[in-house]
Amino acid sequence: MEAKMQLNTLMANMFATGLLDDQFRQLQILHEGSSPDFITEIITLFCMEGEGIINDLAKLLNKPFVDFNKVDTLLYRLQGSSATVGAQRVKDTCIQFHKFCQDNTRYGCLDTLDVVRNDFYDLRSKFQIMVQLEQQVWTFYRKH
Amino acid sequence: MASNAQGSPVKALLVDDTAVDALILSTKLRKFHCETTVAKTGKEALDLFHEGKKFDIVLCDKDMPIMNGLEAVEKIRAMGEIDVKIVGLSADYDATEVFMSAGADAFVPKPMKLDVLSAIIQEVINKKNNTMV
Repeated sequence: MEAKMQLNTLMANMFATGLLDDQFRQLQILHEGSSPDFITEIITLFCMEGEGIINDLAKLLNKPFVDFNKVDTLLYRLQGSSATVGAQRVKDTCIQFHKFCQDNTRYGCLDTLDVVRNDFYDLRSKFQIMVQLEQQVWTFYRKH
Repeated sequence: MASNAQGSPVKALLVDDTAVDALILSTKLRKFHCETTVAKTGKEALDLFHEGKKFDIVLCDKDMPIMNGLEAVEKIRAMGEIDVKIVGLSADYDATEVFMSAGADAFVPKPMKLDVLSAIIQEVINKKNNTMV
């Protein structure tokens, strides 16, 4: 079944390129016995919350006076949810981001925010493809 | 199965404002048949205790709006809730000391793995069983 092959290739690529780590595999194991929409719900929540956090980080960093404590606190939220869903690259970039926060370096933070944003959007677009392929596979197996 | 000798499920309070983290951890708790309540802020958690709700374990995130996890843990202990096991959670790997100072029993960095959660839940069950003997 082509959708299944595409899904397997996509997943393999996401793990191989460091976008995802073993924590995501653990979620897939946890998913067994849960509702079929469990992974979709996880991905949807992560993407929604992640985008909100990134937008809030941008607003904080573009203020005349940057409250680096608030930036750091928000960053831990993104790092936490990234670690929980297995979004390795986003998590690792957050860890780098903390160092610029601790040094109170606005431009370092802004540059790293761009990297986080790119990593997040890259992951989000692949997650969206994953969800679509999962739905195609699910529909196929329901019919046959 | 996460129940004590008399069969009642372990009552868990999960305090986390990040919806995806709360969903994943509550799913893990369900795997151990825990009866789970979710609070989104430290204040919501505290209100539950003020309402007389009882929990065997509290899993509490650090950074939340309105009332953070550290303040919530301090206030829960100040209410006299000394028996409930409180585990701090955070992506801040250096949060052990602040959580323990606030009155937590343990700190686990996010993400909490299933085997770590299993050991914690078993500890709670053993304590309940020993209390009942």
